[in-house]
Amino acid sequence: MTVLGYLANGLVFSSIIVLGSIGLSLVYSIADFANFAHGDTMTIGAYAALVTFGAVGGLGGAVLGLPYGFFLALVVGIAVAAVVAVGTEKLIYEPLDVDSIGLLITSIGIAFIYRAVIQIRFGSDFTRFGIQPLRPIESLVPYGVRVTLHDVAIVGSAVVLVGGLHVLLQYTDLGRKMRAMADNPDLARVSGIRTKRVKLWTWVIGAGLAGAGGVFLGLFNQLSPRMGFNLLLVIFAAVILGGIGSVYGAMAGGFLIGMINQLTPFFSNVVEALPIWPGWLAAIVRGLISIEYANAIAFVIMVVVLLVRPNGIAGEGAT
Amino acid sequence: MSLLDGARGSLTELSRPERWVLGVSAAFALFLLAALLTGALGPTYFLFLVGLAGMYALLSFGLNAQWGFTGLINFSVAAFFGIGAYGSALMTADSSPIAGGFNPLVGLVVALVVAFVLALLIGIPTLRLRADYLAIASLGLAEVVRLIVLNERWLTNGSAGLRGIPSFFQGWPVLSTFPEAMPGLRLVVIPGSPILLETSFWQSLLNVMLVLTFAGVTYLVLRRAHRSPWGRVLRTIRSDEDLARALGKNTYSFKMQSFILGSLIMALAGVFYTHLNLYVGPGDLDPITTFYAWVAVILGGSGSNRGALFGGIVIVTIREGTRFLNDVALPIDPAPLRLLLIGVVIVAVMRYRPQGILPPQRELIWPSAVDGGGTPETPDSGVREQKGGGSNE
Repeated sequence: MTVLGYLANGLVFSSIIVLGSIGLSLVYSIADFANFAHGDTMTIGAYAALVTFGAVGGLGGAVLGLPYGFFLALVVGIAVAAVVAVGTEKLIYEPLDVDSIGLLITSIGIAFIYRAVIQIRFGSDFTRFGIQPLRPIESLVPYGVRVTLHDVAIVGSAVVLVGGLHVLLQYTDLGRKMRAMADNPDLARVSGIRTKRVKLWTWVIGAGLAGAGGVFLGLFNQLSPRMGFNLLLVIFAAVILGGIGSVYGAMAGGFLIGMINQLTPFFSNVVEALPIWPGWLAAIVRGLISIEYANAIAFVIMVVVLLVRPNGIAGEGAT
Repeated sequence: MSLLDGARGSLTELSRPERWVLGVSAAFALFLLAALLTGALGPTYFLFLVGLAGMYALLSFGLNAQWGFTGLINFSVAAFFGIGAYGSALMTADSSPIAGGFNPLVGLVVALVVAFVLALLIGIPTLRLRADYLAIASLGLAEVVRLIVLNERWLTNGSAGLRGIPSFFQGWPVLSTFPEAMPGLRLVVIPGSPILLETSFWQSLLNVMLVLTFAGVTYLVLRRAHRSPWGRVLRTIRSDEDLARALGKNTYSFKMQSFILGSLIMALAGVFYTHLNLYVGPGDLDPITTFYAWVAVILGGSGSNRGALFGGIVIVTIREGTRFLNDVALPIDPAPLRLLLIGVVIVAVMRYRPQGILPPQRELIWPSAVDGGGTPETPDSGVREQKGGGSNE
């Protein structure tokens, strides 16, 4: 594969990470805790879409190699993830009388409950959507880019969703209230903003985007009950890189982390070619920059960012 | 066993949750005894469970020294547990790719040294971070450790894991041959279902003695540390780090000490696990181990060592109870059921009893000072306030 090919893969994976990280960052800043159940919210979206797609089938035509039924399933996945998150907020988080650390610990319990329910219902094996895998787009193969129409659909849908969120945040009343709340919840409250309602909308948007990310992750790889939890730390890395609380930072962070993740094989080729001296150092570097450690590299970046620049690359907007 | 001492003292002195826990524990013990006598529960398996409970209690003690004492949200418990297990397994196992065949005591020392180094490596960057960042960063670094163990085959055997681990007492004068030397016993309590006590039983008995020693020593050390001036500084950091700093304490250094102490105890749990399970694989570094320890600690009550003990027993009940349930009654895969129960316990504790079931009491001073046993000659005002005021911080 060429650099272009890796970049194209990175773009697809980044889209998924961005969808996940926006929701995590929104909830982090507005509900004020690190939500460890966010990854499993993605899983819920993916499995809800799986069930829906299995029930409704293709529904005739297809766009970008994806049947209409899949887009219906995507909408259902988003809706189910949002409903589950709002239900959890109403039933569990809202009545709790603990600080943000207590909420963090509770969210781990919630994550386990989500995952356990899915695993009991669907088993722990990998599954796929019942969609025929496509061949890479022919006209791009000479450039070393091996992306399918499905990948184009993932990137396109992510761009549409993120663009919609941008419009919502910048030009609507709800968006202004959300930004006010992320900035200073007490001040927002005394200005007459119904903070509870804004919080619920935050959950809807955050979990909805996570649900979409989960559906696309299932399309990009496979579905398994652990898919979301396994991605959670990568998403945290993206959020922290972008600066917690900053939605645009989360987009940038998600983009960078997704790219770095998929470009790891390319970096490892580069390191192979570099004349590193002495030899033992070369061996160590070559051993560590390899595809097995793609996630580990993201985690190390996360810790470094926390130490050096805790407000993230966006700088502003951190709580 | 502070629970037993308390019962011997007087029931009326106990608080309601304490009496409740005591009642449930007694009922559970009776249930286990009945199962043992009727032969429904094999004595060897029972001792294995006791060993496992001791191991989780040890793990919870370690976490307690970090979260309960100092308020450090360490989500890398599994990494220290796994490093302890791998450290001793790599030194002692036949199939070890690097050394192998050493005395288990060498394994113990190596495991603790490696855990110490890892604690420094993880602690130096993360302990300066805010509480929730520490949680995320430590979970991330624990995953890095897991990935290294999984992928560096030349060092750890990769996903195949390590087999051929000897018992902890291999090479000791008497104890190494003790299980073989003991005669096989045959007890008949209920006619028709004899209970056989053979070599494996005596082996398990030795393991239980080992974990009781580990846990007992750790308990005493932690209790002493908790009441010492050092422990008081840690609790000050937990409630208000800025205050501790204003009092001239180097909080980073104290946090590091408490982190290292806890990590070493977790590694000790890992060493014991190696010689209990006789197999170590990368699956043992799965984050779920971290959350088992967390459930045990928050269920028992953060900062409370007897709570950690109680939590450890509950964890083993959930872990093995789901397996038992699967065999006997409900054909549900035990793994997700276990996950579900753990999740429900976390949520329920945070919802209804965030301080835990057995929260630490009178933790600010020596208990004897409050009970009138050792009234100081010149009581400083802090003591009086404590006597009259709330017992919790």
